[in-house]
Amino acid sequence: MTDIKPTVHSAVKRIKSFQEISLGLAKKSMMEEGIRCPQCPQSPCNPGCPLGVDIPAFIRLLREGDAAGALAKIREANDLPAICGRVCMAPCEQACVFAEQKKSIGIRALERYASDHGRPRFALRKSIQRSGKKVAVIGSGPAGLTAAAQLAAAGLKVIVYEMMPHLGGMLRYGMPEFRLPKNVLDAEIEEIRLMGVEFKTNFSVGQSMKFAQFVGEGYSAVLLTVGQNSLSLVDLPGADLGGVYYSKEILLSANTRFVDQFKRNPVPVIADQVAVIGYGNAALDCARICLRLGREVTLIFPETAEDLKVYPDDVAFAQEEGLKFEALTKPLSILADNSAGNFAAGVQCVRMDFADTDGSGKWEIKPVPSSEFVVSAQTVILAGGFKTNAAALALGTNLKLQENGSVWIDPQTSLTSVPHLYAAGDVVAGASSIVAAMASGKKAAQSIIKAVR
Amino acid sequence: MFKVLNKQILAKDVKRLDVKAPLIAARIAAGQFVMIVTREGGEWIPMMVAEAESLRGQITFIFQENNPAAVELGQLTIGEEIFSMVGPLGQPAKIAKTGVVVCLATGVGTARILPICKALKKAGNKVIGIMGAKTKNSLTLEPQMRIACSRLLITTEDGSYEQRGLASEMLKDILASEVVRQVYAAGSAEMMQAVCQMTKDKAISTLVQLQPVMACGMGFCGSCRVRVEGKVVLACVSGPLFDGHSVNFEHYKTRLAVNQAQKVNQDFQHEEDDMTRSITKFFPGLLGK
Repeated sequence: MTDIKPTVHSAVKRIKSFQEISLGLAKKSMMEEGIRCPQCPQSPCNPGCPLGVDIPAFIRLLREGDAAGALAKIREANDLPAICGRVCMAPCEQACVFAEQKKSIGIRALERYASDHGRPRFALRKSIQRSGKKVAVIGSGPAGLTAAAQLAAAGLKVIVYEMMPHLGGMLRYGMPEFRLPKNVLDAEIEEIRLMGVEFKTNFSVGQSMKFAQFVGEGYSAVLLTVGQNSLSLVDLPGADLGGVYYSKEILLSANTRFVDQFKRNPVPVIADQVAVIGYGNAALDCARICLRLGREVTLIFPETAEDLKVYPDDVAFAQEEGLKFEALTKPLSILADNSAGNFAAGVQCVRMDFADTDGSGKWEIKPVPSSEFVVSAQTVILAGGFKTNAAALALGTNLKLQENGSVWIDPQTSLTSVPHLYAAGDVVAGASSIVAAMASGKKAAQSIIKAVR
Repeated sequence: MFKVLNKQILAKDVKRLDVKAPLIAARIAAGQFVMIVTREGGEWIPMMVAEAESLRGQITFIFQENNPAAVELGQLTIGEEIFSMVGPLGQPAKIAKTGVVVCLATGVGTARILPICKALKKAGNKVIGIMGAKTKNSLTLEPQMRIACSRLLITTEDGSYEQRGLASEMLKDILASEVVRQVYAAGSAEMMQAVCQMTKDKAISTLVQLQPVMACGMGFCGSCRVRVEGKVVLACVSGPLFDGHSVNFEHYKTRLAVNQAQKVNQDFQHEEDDMTRSITKFFPGLLGK
């Protein structure tokens, strides 16, 4: 929890557009924030970052006025600084010495400042000595992009295969424009392309190319970073009524269509009153998309507002934008309308509260007796979880899977049960954060470099 | 980008496109589909591949222009390019030699059953095709079906061509006269339900090809959920072919009706929106402030 205030558009203005809401730090506030960093000798923030960015060093460079040097320092460990500076969950800020006083250094905002202002005016093609070995990366999400950058920097020829027409995976199709603008993502991908990485889009690997073919075409290693993309369905009565959607349907539609077109004619149809059920980033993003369409939105989740699995700033922004929070509320069922009974009309909920039912001193969240009420909503959005898509893994090999369905890897080498086939990201770890996926992509890339050379 | 190599208008609102897509053509099996978006920012629609020639690297779509996205696809001319195509998706049909197989299709279901008919005949089955249509003019793909099936029966609802009646009534006669091992059906929900009721008594394995609304086709968005054996599954991942006797058709029909109602409402709103804008542009002050 930080207490810095980046420059933002006013709530009234920003709910009318899909533009990025935060303009980043001004130079003066960046300086003030940078000077606040005590440069602790043990630097607890460094182990907090899964990628291992040298945080005190880049802050020192920033406050000395060297944004380009700070960006270069970040780029030593992190290949997507502009993305991490915007949408990272910032575990480093929780590890900061000021975290207990809720006055952590705004490391994420400073990283964004460095990436915005430290970028060279001209893109430079980096000359890297090539070793002649080829590696295929399947999927261009955060893990795939990081791994591709690492492998290319080590002199390997990297070809990234992406199923969708554009690159970025969940960064593009699962994250709204106002949180991560597409041009920022494109600039970061361009940076990786300049390292000599080749991208092939519209190429669904599992179906149209098998693992044996990769080996036949002379690839030394294949890295699987397809993520988790198979929906696990929510078991709620009335979930199949009309007007009930899953979060990714809204996010996909908002990200594949042009913004003005989506605002004028949103597909799927979104009614005037919307209820979003869930407590993660997907739920909050859907709610904020609906707010931008001028809808009345309620977010229903069975935990306290502090337990929301999002960056605290986003909750504050959503509150300013007029999102209604129904914290400690458990949805029981989705009610059908009176006329035909085919469409959703509301969500039957029950209040929850902390209770010590058996007097043992264990306080648990329990439903409050006779506290049921109805949230009126014609559109209900369910933000469910995901599991590994078996179809995406149809590479023609017998991959060993974990109990929960994700791919098993050797924790030391990131190698799966098939030789030369590596895996990283959400396909291994289950749903995790962007920075964790990037870290695992980096680790897998390093072990590929070691094995291929 | 996928180039359109050839285009044919088969009937009113029914078009055929040959598209260059070597990777998809080499891998696609009967019963699988691809997701198509014609231009950037457009709507993704599922599209059944009617024919695939791996040597030429081309695939063929036959589709009816019954929604805005399909109309957009139909407007492409030879030499233009489709923005994106993802596939092959879905589970392939399990084709084996069983004996007499009936393939039943109504409306645009014919385009979806055609690759299955071909594969079944190639596997050595006796394929009896039944096609149903409203009138003679709306009947499509008759020559292709004649080649793909060992015997083809055609019914029209108004009796303007071949026999008068419904396709499911024709199936009753076939079931009485032949020892049918398997039935494939594609088309309207009512027809598929009627077929399943007919075959359930005789314990003939029946596979129905469901076509719910799909927004992504990769098991990602959850718009194509259908109820099979009491469980909700995604038609794009575990389908689109399902055992007809375990599909909950009431659930399927409700989901289709809901989507239809929303679509109509939305298209109307969109038109009204366009109309209002053009009126206010050319006749300012006419509609009030």
